[in-house]
Amino acid sequence: MKNYALVSVVMLATAVFAAEWKIAEPGWTYEFPRDHHIHPEFKTEWWYFTGNVTDLDGHRFGYELTFFRQGIRPPDERSPSASRFIVGDLKFAHLAITDVSKQRFQFQQKISRGAFGEAGFDDGKRLAWIDDWVLATNGDDAFDLKATMKDWGTIHLHLRATKAPVIHGQDGVSAKASGAGHASHYYSMTRLETTGEFFIGKRSQPFRGESWFDHEWATNQLAPGQTGWDWLSVHFDDGSELMLYQMRLENGTVDPTSSGTMIAPDGAGTFLPSTSFRMTPMRYWKSAVSGAKYPIGWRVELPEQHLEFTVAAVVEDQELAFLPLVYWEGAIDVSGTRSGKAITGRGYLELTGYAGPLRELQR
Amino acid sequence: MTSQYLRLFHRHVLRYIARHRLLALLNILSVALGVAVYLAIQIANQSANRAFAATIDVVAGKAELQIEGAIAGLPDTTFSAVAQHPAVAAATPLVRGVVTLPDLPGEYLHLLGIDIFSNLPFRTFELTDWRTGGEFDFQRWLAEPGTIAVSDEFARLHQLKEGDVLRAQVNGTEHTLRVAFILRSSGPEASDPHFAAMDIGWAQELLSKRDALSSIQVQLTEPRARDAAIESLRKILPPDANVSTPAQRGEQVQNMLGGFQLNLTAMSLVSLLVGMFLIYNTVSASVVRRRSEIGVLRSLGVSRPEIRGLFLSEACSLGLVGAVVGLIGGLLLARALVRTVSETISSLYVLLSVRELAVTPWMLGSAALVGLVSVIIAAWLPAAAAAKMDPMRALRAGSIIEQSANLSSGWFWSGLASIIVAGVLSVTALTTGPPWIAFGAAFFVLAGFSFIVPAATSRFSRTASRLLRASPNRTVEMKVAAGNLARSLVRNSVTIAALAAAVAMAVGVSVMVFSFRRTVESWIDQTLVADIFVAPASNEVVGPSSFMPAEAIRFLENHQSVAAVDTFREVDVAMGKKTIAMLVVHGTDRRHLRFLRGNATEIMRQFAHEPCVIVSESFGRRHRVRDGDSIELSTPAGPRGFLVAGTFYDYTRDQGVVHMSQKTFLPIWKDDRVSSLAVYLKPGGEATELTGQFRAEFSRTGQFMMLSNRELRRRIFEVFDQTFAVTYVLRTIAVIVAVVGICLTLTTLIAERTRELGVFRAIGGSATQLRKVLLWESAMIGLLAAVVGIASGLCLSLVLTGVINRAFFGWTIQMAFPWGSLALTPLWIVAAAIVAGVFPAWRAGHLMLAEALRDE
Repeated sequence: MKNYALVSVVMLATAVFAAEWKIAEPGWTYEFPRDHHIHPEFKTEWWYFTGNVTDLDGHRFGYELTFFRQGIRPPDERSPSASRFIVGDLKFAHLAITDVSKQRFQFQQKISRGAFGEAGFDDGKRLAWIDDWVLATNGDDAFDLKATMKDWGTIHLHLRATKAPVIHGQDGVSAKASGAGHASHYYSMTRLETTGEFFIGKRSQPFRGESWFDHEWATNQLAPGQTGWDWLSVHFDDGSELMLYQMRLENGTVDPTSSGTMIAPDGAGTFLPSTSFRMTPMRYWKSAVSGAKYPIGWRVELPEQHLEFTVAAVVEDQELAFLPLVYWEGAIDVSGTRSGKAITGRGYLELTGYAGPLRELQR
Repeated sequence: MTSQYLRLFHRHVLRYIARHRLLALLNILSVALGVAVYLAIQIANQSANRAFAATIDVVAGKAELQIEGAIAGLPDTTFSAVAQHPAVAAATPLVRGVVTLPDLPGEYLHLLGIDIFSNLPFRTFELTDWRTGGEFDFQRWLAEPGTIAVSDEFARLHQLKEGDVLRAQVNGTEHTLRVAFILRSSGPEASDPHFAAMDIGWAQELLSKRDALSSIQVQLTEPRARDAAIESLRKILPPDANVSTPAQRGEQVQNMLGGFQLNLTAMSLVSLLVGMFLIYNTVSASVVRRRSEIGVLRSLGVSRPEIRGLFLSEACSLGLVGAVVGLIGGLLLARALVRTVSETISSLYVLLSVRELAVTPWMLGSAALVGLVSVIIAAWLPAAAAAKMDPMRALRAGSIIEQSANLSSGWFWSGLASIIVAGVLSVTALTTGPPWIAFGAAFFVLAGFSFIVPAATSRFSRTASRLLRASPNRTVEMKVAAGNLARSLVRNSVTIAALAAAVAMAVGVSVMVFSFRRTVESWIDQTLVADIFVAPASNEVVGPSSFMPAEAIRFLENHQSVAAVDTFREVDVAMGKKTIAMLVVHGTDRRHLRFLRGNATEIMRQFAHEPCVIVSESFGRRHRVRDGDSIELSTPAGPRGFLVAGTFYDYTRDQGVVHMSQKTFLPIWKDDRVSSLAVYLKPGGEATELTGQFRAEFSRTGQFMMLSNRELRRRIFEVFDQTFAVTYVLRTIAVIVAVVGICLTLTTLIAERTRELGVFRAIGGSATQLRKVLLWESAMIGLLAAVVGIASGLCLSLVLTGVINRAFFGWTIQMAFPWGSLALTPLWIVAAAIVAGVFPAWRAGHLMLAEALRDE
C-alpha cells in the first residue's frame, strides 16, 4: 500500500498541463554529454539501467535501477520564492535485483517530492538521486550507481561505455503512436562494461558483467487505445545488440509505429520498423500477486536481419508489484540463429499493461 | 418466601398503583424528567468530547509523537532533521489552518496541508479521486493550487459536485478552492465533516505559512523508548517547540472543558433533586393512606423488613418505569442540547462541530441507576416509617393524628447546621479546593432550607391563625386553611420544600446570570472603548486564526478621521507543561482595565514600557500567580521569566489570559502579525465614512468584518446569552417539576384527608367552603415556598456566583439582584400553586359525605 502513491503517479500523468510542456518533435540534435542530463521542459524523463552480472563464485544476478522524473508543473510556472513543498518535478526510482541461482527477485520503490534537496536531478556531479540512491556521471561515458534495498543490502555499480550512444527512431524521435507528439527522444548506451559489488551486512561481493542504459524524455507520448507494451534489450555474444518494442492496442493488434534498433558490433544502429520484426509469445507465467498473466517466453523473428531467437526469463517471477501499478521487468536469456549460425545473448524484458489498463508510463 | 412476596407485591403495590393512576403517572414523570435531563447532559458532554477526540484522530493520525511549533509554527527545515533522526521511523509534516466559505455563510473548512507521500503510514482517512473514483490523480493533487479533498459528509451537506469551486477567506484575502477529492475517515469514529485536505505546499501558500509547519507527526523506531526519544528530539528542535503524544494534547482540551461540563452535570442533577421530594411525598402519602392495611399485614405475620420492602418496591417500580421513560426522553432532549453545548464550546473554548450523539450503554445504565438510587433514597424514610408502625395503633381507626407533628425543632437545627456546613464548604472550595466541593455547598444550601421548612410552616400556621383570629374581616376558610398547614406538617413541608428548592434554583440561577451580565456590562463599558473594531471576517466564524494584512492596517492608521489604532494578536504560549492564551497588545491602549490591586495608571505605564505582563483574574487564580511573581514562558530563545505587573478583571475566558505589549513581544518572538484592530476616531470623525472607504478598498467581497462599538457589544451579549441557554432550559425544567409536584401533593392530601374533610362537611361546611379552604391552602403553600425559596435562592446565588464561578472559572462577579423579577416571583409561584389546587379542590367538592365518614 505504501507504494500506491508512486505507482499511481506514473500511471495517471494526465494531459492537464500538457500545453505548457514541450513535446518530442522530429529534428532533435543529440549532443553528449549534454543529453545525459535533465530535460526539464519535457514532462517525463527517465534514466533506465539494466544489466546482467556474475559474481566471483559464478552466481548470476540481474539488476534494474531506474530514476524517473515526472513533471508536475512546467518550469515557467515554478517560483523560487514559493513553498518548498510545491512539487515541480516528482522524483521516483525503482530498484530490482534478480538472484538467478537462488531464483529470488526483490524490488523497492522510492518516491520523493525533494522539498529539502533529498531528491533531485543534475547538481553537477549527480544526474539523479533520491536519498541514498544515486546516479552520478563519471566523465562523458561512465556512470556510478549506488542504491540500498531495504532488508537486503547495497548495490554499487561502475559502468563504462564501450560504444557511443545510439539514437532510436527516425529523425531524432521514437514514435509511440501515430500523430504529432506521441513520441519521445530516446537514446541508449547499449553496452556498458560493468563492475561493482553488493554489500550485504558487512560482506562485500564483487561482480562484473554488462549493462544497458536507456535515457528517454517526452510529453504525453502515449495515445488512447494503447493497452501496454512489450520491450526487450539483448546483448548478443557476437558483439551486437538489439532493442525492440511493440505497443499493443485494445483491438489486439500491434501499433504500426512500434519499432526497434539493431546495433552492430561497431556501434552502427539500424532502425527496425514494425514490419521488419515479429514477436510471438510462447510461454506465460501468472502472477499470484496481481493475477496478471505475463508472456515471459517469446519467439522473435527479424527476417531482414536473418535473425531469429527465443527469449526465456531466467526467473519467472520478476514482477514489480507497486499496486496498483504493476509491471514485469526481468533478466532474460536468448538463443537462436543468425544467418544460420547459433547465437546466444542476455538481456532484459519489460512487459506492461498486463495487470490493468495502461496509462502514461515508461517506454 | 419469594412467591409469597410476589403475591404481596401484586396485591398491595400493583393494585394500588393501578388504582391511583394519575399519582403514579406524575411520579413516573418526575423521575423521567430528572433522568432525561441528566442523561441528555451526559450525552451532550460526551458527544462534544468524542467529537474532539475524533478531531485529534484525524489531525494526529497514527502518530506516536506530535511536534508542534509555537506561535510562528515550526521552521519547515526542522522536518529533514526530524525525519533523519535515528529514533524516528517515519515522520510527516503538517500545516493546519481554517478558512471560511463566504458562499456558505457560517461554514468553514479545517484545512490539513498534508504530504501525500510521507503521511501514508499516519493517515486515518482515505483520499479518493472524485473523477476516477478509484485511482488517485497525483498530477491534479500536486499541480493545481486550490485542489482540495472535502469530507463526503460535507459534500453531501452542501450538495457539492466534483469540480465545484468554493470561495475561501483567510487572512483577509479571498482564494478559490476546487473540490476534486473526497476524504473519508477510515477510523471507527465519524470525524468532523469540516476537515478538508490539500497538498502541503499549496496549503502553506494559501494560509500564508510559507516555510512553516504546524506540526510534525512522528512514529518511533522504538515506541517503548518514547521518553528518551523525546529527550533527544528536543535537542534538534527550536526551544519553544512542544513534543507530546496526541493523547496529551487531547487531555489538555478535556481539562479545559472539564469545569464547564461538570457545571452542566451539576445543574442537571437539580431536577432530579426536586423529583426526590415528590417521590418522598408520594410514598409517605401512600403509607399514611394504608395504615390499616399495614396493620393487617403486620398482624398476619408480615415482617417489618417486608413492609419496608413493599413500599420501596412500590417506589422502585415507579422509578423503573420513570427511568425507562427518562432514557427515551433523554435521548430526544440530547438532540436539542448537543447543538447548544457544542456552540458554546466552540465560542468559548475550541472550534468544534458535533455531528453525532455519543451514547454508550454505560451512560444509559448510569442515568437509570442515578434515577433509581434517588428514588430509593427518597422512599427510604417513609418506607422505614411504615415498617416501624405499631400494628395495634395502625389498626385503630379514627385516631389519625400525624405523629410527626412536633418533629419541627430537630429539623430546624439540622437546617441551620446544613447552612453552616454550606458556608464551611464554600470557604474550603475557595481556599484549598478542590473546586467541586462548591457543589456540596450548593447542595447543603438547598438541603438546609428544606429542613427549615417544617419549622417555618408551623410558625406560619400559628402566626396566621392568630392574626386571622384578630383580624375583623377574617374568613373561616382562611383560618381553617392556615390551621391545616400545620396539621399535615410533614407532607406539606415536603411539598413546600420541593417547590422551594425549585424556586431557589430558579432564583439562584437568575441572580447569578443577572450579576454576571451586569458585571460584564460594566467591564465592557470600561474596556470596550474604541469606535470601530476590525478583523478578518473568517475570525468571526472560526476564532482568531486569520491575520490583518499590513496595508489594511496602514490604511486605517493613515486615515484622516482616525486618531489611533490599537492592534491585538492572540497566541498560545507554553508555560511549563500548560498552554496558555496570550494577547499581544500594541498601541495607545485606552482600555481602562480594572486591576484587583495597585494603581492602574502605574501598572499600565509599566506594561507599556517594561518587559512585563499583566494577567487576568482567572489566570491568576488558575495558575496561582500573584502580582510581583514571575511567570516562565517558552520563547524561541528558550524559557524566559516575565514579571507579573498586575492582575486585571476580565471575563473573556475562564482559562485566563496574559497580556503582553507588542514592544515586549516583538524582539523575542519576531512575529508582528495581528488578528484584530481597535480604531479610535478623532473628534467629529465619521465611522460610516471610514468603514465605507475601507470596504471599498479592502473588503469588496466581505473579507473583513467591521463592527461599531455598539454592534460588538450586542454580539458579545449574544454569545453570553447563548452560553447560558442550557442553564435557562434546566432552570425551567426544575420549576415545571415543582409545579407538577404541588398538584400531585394536593391531590394526595385530599385523598388522605377524606375523613377530615368529611367532618368539615358534616359540621356544616359547604362544598364551596371546602373548595375555598383547599385553594387557600394551595395559596399558602405557594407563598411559603416562594418565601423560603427566595431566601434559599439568594443564598444559593451567593454560592453560584461567589463560590462556584470563582472556584471553577476564577472570576469575580459583582452581586447584583434583579429586584423586579424577584418581587414578582411570589406572585407567580402563588398563582401556580392556586392553579395546581383547582383540580384537587374541585374533586374534594364532590366528596361523598357518607363514604368519607364511614370510618367514624
